[in-house]
Amino acid sequence: MRDPMTAPQTDPRPPTDQPRNSLGGGGGEHHERARRSGPEWFARELETAKASEARYRGLLEAAPDAMIVVDRAGDIVLVNAQSEIRFGYRRHELLGKAVTDIIPAGFAERLIADAERTTEAALAQQMGTGIELVGRRKDGSEFPIEIMLSPLDSEEGVLVTAAIRDISVRKAAEAELLEKVEALHVSNVELEQFAYAASHDLQEPLRMISSYTQLLARRYEGRLDSDADEFIAFAVDGASRMQRLIGDLLAYSRVGTQGRELRPTSSDVAVRQALVNLRGAIEESDAVVTSADMPDVMADEMQLVQLFQNLIGNGIKYRRGDAPRVAVSAVRRGDRWTIDVTDNGLGIDAQYFDRIFGMFQRLHGREEFAGTGIGLAIAKKIVERHGGTITVESKIDHGSTFRFSLPAVARALT
Amino acid sequence: MTLQAEHPIPRHVLLVDDSAGDVRLTREAFRDANSTVVIHVANDGVDAMAFLRREAPHAAAPRPDLILLDLNLPRMDGREVLARVKADEDLKTIPTIILTTSDAQADIIRSYELQANGYVSKPAGLDEFEELIRSVDDFWLSKAKLPSRRADL
Repeated sequence: MRDPMTAPQTDPRPPTDQPRNSLGGGGGEHHERARRSGPEWFARELETAKASEARYRGLLEAAPDAMIVVDRAGDIVLVNAQSEIRFGYRRHELLGKAVTDIIPAGFAERLIADAERTTEAALAQQMGTGIELVGRRKDGSEFPIEIMLSPLDSEEGVLVTAAIRDISVRKAAEAELLEKVEALHVSNVELEQFAYAASHDLQEPLRMISSYTQLLARRYEGRLDSDADEFIAFAVDGASRMQRLIGDLLAYSRVGTQGRELRPTSSDVAVRQALVNLRGAIEESDAVVTSADMPDVMADEMQLVQLFQNLIGNGIKYRRGDAPRVAVSAVRRGDRWTIDVTDNGLGIDAQYFDRIFGMFQRLHGREEFAGTGIGLAIAKKIVERHGGTITVESKIDHGSTFRFSLPAVARALT
Repeated sequence: MTLQAEHPIPRHVLLVDDSAGDVRLTREAFRDANSTVVIHVANDGVDAMAFLRREAPHAAAPRPDLILLDLNLPRMDGREVLARVKADEDLKTIPTIILTTSDAQADIIRSYELQANGYVSKPAGLDEFEELIRSVDDFWLSKAKLPSRRADL
């Protein structure tokens, strides 16, 4: 942008004004050569200057933006056709007008440089960065504009070329996007609260169904006919599955609604607590879970325990015959820790890598493996609340590695 | 009859709960845990206070050895009952355990601030609920030393 504007070094005013001056940008060398080559050379040089002037003007007129040249006093000395269209003035009305008439605030101030800095230095700071201001049309209506400034040397000192773009459409789109993001956020919060309230309130009547069907089963098993025993067994099973589902749904919505502040937390302690919670599954399967050099991280401790519990628990649950092995390790990457939870279990087909983190996603029949399909969705939500992502690498019959990152503890805090 | 030997005087429990299902379930669980416990039921906070103060229709009510109090009750809720019991010179020595479905931190903190003697949530499963009632019975009605009721008698 700057080169085509500054290279010609011409007086930007219309050629009729002071045609002689448009040569002024040339250095002393020109004068020497002019002396050497006489009037013929001068005429030729004048033609060149006119051609250069025309090129500059052509460039100005062809620009997709409104282009306005302003002198140090803040008066408009040159405009292009786009300026007329954008601001609703005729060209002659704009020339000589104070720039504050069409850009009321923020522009003129930038022309007045600090006493310590030259105008050029002040402008250089603005170069290449768009300034968002407000433009005012002739009819008084206003519209958002973005301005790019470049200094332009001339006989009268530094002029300022301003490329002005009408950004009404972009601004409207931005405002709409912001509105939508806000609405989405509100709707997410509402949905989360709804899920929490609904699952919480559903627990109560469900507890009655579950308790009394269990009581029925316990007291009347074998005392009614075999059909009755079977029916009661289905009722008991359905109720307890629904209880697990609702419990997991509650846990899922709690990640968002009941999360605590992230603070320095030992991931080593979190892994060990997860192992305590998984004691039953570990003893039953003879699982070996190892972890090494686990760091302190910024985390919600309860959620970190839950995260390890879900991932290690999966590694133990989806095992291949032999005693399952799960290894937990951490590597520092910049200001985050990357943590791997690797198992030697069944593994997951690559086509399911995305799906497994969704709600209620199950890859196995209920007869094969019990579960609600929420565990990894909870894990994903916890990781995302900690500003990270969770991914899986896996091969059928070779086990899986779940990888996620957590923020490291800032050095000042350790 | 070993159980009766442990509790020569029947223990009285005031259960304050508005859910008939929960009341029955608690009765069943106590029956399995300790056959000598007498369960008295109040369905709301107002009824509970009348029972404790021996006001009509509870003029002949015994002083309970333990109060099991739900938090969300009609007319007067459990928090209010707890505050009144613990502000009453005569009643405040009765161990009062919150037995509720809420496991919200706010409820737990508020209850202990109001001098609750314990707070337990009703577990989802029948086995777990029975286990809970057994341990409440074991600790509060058998192992714990309670203020002698002689002064009251």
